[in-house]
Amino acid sequence: MSQASHYLLRNHDIENIDEMAVYRAHGGYEALKKALNQYEPDALVELVKKSGLRGRGGAGFPTGVKWGFLPKDGRPRYLVVNSDEAEPGTFKDRELIEKNPHQLIEGMIISSFAIGANQAYIYCRGEFLFGYETLVRAVREAYEAGFIGKNILGSQFSLDLFVYRGAGAYICGEESALLESLEGRRGNPRLKPPFPAVAGLYGMPTIVNNVETISNLPPIVTRGAEWYASMGTEKSAGLKIMSVSGAVNRPGNYEIPLATPLRSLIDDYAQGMKPGYRIKCIIPGGSSVPLLMPDQLDTPLDYESIVKAGSMLGSGGCIVLDDTVCIVKASHRLIKFYREESCGKCTPCREGTYWMADVLERMEEGLGDANDLSLLMDVADNISGKCFCPLGDASIGFLVSAIKHFRDEFEAHVTEHRCPLGAKVYDTANN
Amino acid sequence: MIRLTIDDQEIEVREGTMIADAAARLGIDIPVYCYHEALGPLGACRMCLVGVEKMPKLATACTTAVQDGMVVHTYGEAVDKGRKGVLEFLLINHPLDCPVCDKGGECFLQDYTFQYGPPKGRFKEPKIQKVKDGPINEFVLIDQERCVLCQRCVRFMDEYVGEPQLLLDGRGVETVVTTVDGVPATSQFSGNVIDLCPVGALLSAPYQHKGRPWNIERQESVCTMCPVGCTTLATGRDGHIVRIEGRPVPDRSWGWLCDRGRFGYDYATDPTRLTISFLHANPEAAARTTRQVGHWMSDVMRDAGPDSIAVVMGGLHTVEEAHQVHAFAKNVIGTSRLSISRDVPGYVPRVLNGTYADIADADTILLVGVDPYEAVPVVHLKLRERQKSKRPVKILAVAPRDLSRDSLDVNTLITHAGQEAQVLGWALSQGMGTHPAVKKLAATAPVGVADEDLTALSEALGSSEHLTILWDGLQNEVGSVLAALADARGEKATRILPTWGPSNWRGFERAGFSADFDALTSLLEDARAGKIQMLMTFGADLLREYPDERLVREALQKVPHVVFEGLFRPTEPSLYGAQLPQAGPGEVAGTYVNMEARLLSATPSVTPPGQARPVKSYLTAWAHALNKPFVADDDWDPYGDDTADLLPFDGIQAKVWALKPPNLGNASGMELVTGALVIENGIPSHILEPRAPKFPGRISPQDAEILGIVGQGLVRLGKDGREIRVPVTVDERMTPGRIFVPLGMASCPVNRLGLGAVEVARLEEVPTT
Repeated sequence: MSQASHYLLRNHDIENIDEMAVYRAHGGYEALKKALNQYEPDALVELVKKSGLRGRGGAGFPTGVKWGFLPKDGRPRYLVVNSDEAEPGTFKDRELIEKNPHQLIEGMIISSFAIGANQAYIYCRGEFLFGYETLVRAVREAYEAGFIGKNILGSQFSLDLFVYRGAGAYICGEESALLESLEGRRGNPRLKPPFPAVAGLYGMPTIVNNVETISNLPPIVTRGAEWYASMGTEKSAGLKIMSVSGAVNRPGNYEIPLATPLRSLIDDYAQGMKPGYRIKCIIPGGSSVPLLMPDQLDTPLDYESIVKAGSMLGSGGCIVLDDTVCIVKASHRLIKFYREESCGKCTPCREGTYWMADVLERMEEGLGDANDLSLLMDVADNISGKCFCPLGDASIGFLVSAIKHFRDEFEAHVTEHRCPLGAKVYDTANN
Repeated sequence: MIRLTIDDQEIEVREGTMIADAAARLGIDIPVYCYHEALGPLGACRMCLVGVEKMPKLATACTTAVQDGMVVHTYGEAVDKGRKGVLEFLLINHPLDCPVCDKGGECFLQDYTFQYGPPKGRFKEPKIQKVKDGPINEFVLIDQERCVLCQRCVRFMDEYVGEPQLLLDGRGVETVVTTVDGVPATSQFSGNVIDLCPVGALLSAPYQHKGRPWNIERQESVCTMCPVGCTTLATGRDGHIVRIEGRPVPDRSWGWLCDRGRFGYDYATDPTRLTISFLHANPEAAARTTRQVGHWMSDVMRDAGPDSIAVVMGGLHTVEEAHQVHAFAKNVIGTSRLSISRDVPGYVPRVLNGTYADIADADTILLVGVDPYEAVPVVHLKLRERQKSKRPVKILAVAPRDLSRDSLDVNTLITHAGQEAQVLGWALSQGMGTHPAVKKLAATAPVGVADEDLTALSEALGSSEHLTILWDGLQNEVGSVLAALADARGEKATRILPTWGPSNWRGFERAGFSADFDALTSLLEDARAGKIQMLMTFGADLLREYPDERLVREALQKVPHVVFEGLFRPTEPSLYGAQLPQAGPGEVAGTYVNMEARLLSATPSVTPPGQARPVKSYLTAWAHALNKPFVADDDWDPYGDDTADLLPFDGIQAKVWALKPPNLGNASGMELVTGALVIENGIPSHILEPRAPKFPGRISPQDAEILGIVGQGLVRLGKDGREIRVPVTVDERMTPGRIFVPLGMASCPVNRLGLGAVEVARLEEVPTT
């Protein structure tokens, strides 16, 4: 891959940018100074709105609009950064916190100033021990440098920033479950409304943003909203980090302007498929989204175009499945993930994922029967739209599209009583 | 108001109402597991799916608030399939062991599956195995396989009771309800989770495999264990009560019970229960004993006149029974020596008696002496619900011990033993000193209470718009202060809830007996002075109950004929000439009056055991022996004409009298303080044995150090040559210098010493209790 410069993944260009000195030598915390000196909080919110920045955690909700939902009633407000990145196929936040933590911290300080929060939290995924330790160190450095604490850079603005490590639960990436966990309770999603912007952490107005979203703040403040909006499309502006995995030559994180074609991501950025492998299908936005077929490779990677193509941009976890992958095995592996990660609160998700995993396992083992496919579709239908939080719907996104596109392969498992592909690829130790 | 349409019926409801509640008001049944009105919406079970026009997906009726013009469909293709799907999901890991499940026949999983579920399951894989019949504590079992994870139990304990002793453990399909760290739940409200559980997951351990819905009799009853008067359902089978459940009363009670009330029903079959009669401590047929008592009665009346017979009413009798006894004593015997057995001297006239609505409406609640959690547990829940509601409330206490606890924030003004009236009176005279009633108190300044505390108390009492007081009645003079307070506050509501027993004392008063403590004292003094030849006690064990044990003992020794009628053998049976078995609650039809002065009627579910019989049969036999007519007035009922189910007003006025400065005793010893413990109310229960405190006394850590007690120990309390031995435990909440011993415990009778200054010494022996 040959991109000259990065805005978010500057660690690709600059060695040791996770260290305060290196980060500052390359313009670090200048955006913060600019924000504190040249902007009123409301103007910053306006700036973010104008930039067209949308939530990069998966839902793609306009960030500035979300900030505008905070009620102006004098209650304390909180900023919470969601670093519970656990979506299979997505590993962008991990790189951002491990390799470029100061960018996130700077973004958080700017965002807190913009929304009027004096306390900010990073909720770090439990398994990200290294990222957590890096963040803790970086936060300490920022405190020592006076970027966090009382009267930052001589302004009236004070901020405390806490890093909290979760206990390892995918569901805690759902913002209300995250808040429950952050408050010390079982990570189960909360009833909405009220939304976190009205009653979030400790019942106070809270903004929950993704790591990547907040990491966009320093470049936007430095270069302006117009610069950011100039990339991508009108509705999907700016930069997006895509995590590419699968049988490509260079899997990894790539920072792309939105609306870059999927084909370009795979062929140019990830340098194409490994020799001997052909694309079977692509999960463009993390394991929760429906798959795209090879004939859809020209789809531009922006929120609207992907939806039009029948999938979602999601968290940007682009999993390339090659032609050695058994679609039943892959579905089983993904459903098993959701079965393990279902919090157990609501019935369809808790029981449905368990059931589907069992049926898929049976099919893959050659023990399926003729009714299993319709049973799977019906169970998926009983989950669809009936769960408490999006996890249930997420669990069937891939499966339903897989059955739609690869019904033959599913049926072959049943009629031949075995996996026609032998399914070697996804035989992980975790089976 | 919001107007919406549900299944073509229009309804107008308050903003914020959930669709499920709006539908319920139309009589439309929406199936639901997780939602409970007292706990609020959760949205976990997904059973209550309904279709809402213009919404793309099905909505859960329990979490979706109504909107103007909403059109809701509670049936239809999509809704039916959604419910079917949820039920199928709930059943895939359900063991389907209905034939051996106690809930079979009264189970919402069965009912909804029958009504809405799929006819057949499609799940072929092995089910997840979990714990069956695991203990939550000694009384509650959990079958995790049957659990639908509705979280009602967890949320009840955590949010409603404030004792988070249950939790969800594990994740996803492996999620289970269990206790925290495997420690048995100690909350005295734990049994409510059995009622809350919509399926057969949480079961009563003592009721396990005792009956099926089709071979039991379930009758509406009332709990008589304490003055709260919770409404219950009593399950009878083969002549025994085998289960008590809470009975919700719309707009009044959620149907919560404490474990004392729920599991204490086995007193009816306790080995100490009187089921035959005794004559001079020898077992005897009831008919013969009854006849003998009749002869005594006739002899005494002939030789010493009717007034030498005294009658004391108490225990768990109904209002109707008390009325019959009263009519008999007045009209057949013709005595004027009538009294109610009292264990505390306080009195509240009916006119000041509040109701539970006064807890909900109050802006200030004052606890005088009483710890609601221990004495009247379900009122504790009412107080907590009040404290959790949006409208602010101040909960204050004046008591010789701290009454605050994790689940209820109480600002306690800690007094010396017997100083409550003085503290309250002085606080009153600070703020409302010019009022004649307050002047009449002639309150003096209390020793050892901070001025700012008194000022704060005075302000709170004066400024409250609606003041509700709970009082344990331990100090008679508080009654005078409360009367003055109510008078001085004028139009502003001042309501009192008396928390003492016997639980039906107000009902006995309604039946004609005087609840005046002095009447009982002078009756006993007359007995000691030899003026009484025959003493008849109904349900009352005076030796245990009356605050001065010595007076009772001397009186009983002096009276030639002491007749005892009761449920259990009395303390020191040798003092009684005759003991007659009583028919208890659940065995007779009748009415009880609770601390709200509310009449609650109970239907019997079993017949009395052995020779126990309703009191009327004794009275009739005696009237026969006396050769006098006795009409039991079966058409008498205790209700008034225009007070609904509350007692009518009786014309007794609140009295205010001058306070005597308290005698705080010598400073060298400790102060004995007491209070009712519902578990130690004198009614035995084998089931509840694990809950009975092994070390009922409580002392502060500081005093424990002085006495050399680590954790628990045994102490001797002495006063004027009398002593009791009390196993004590160290309690952080106790104030140094005070020792707490529960009221009415047979093993360490507080009434042997009386309250106030006592000498305390540690005993080396290891307590065996």
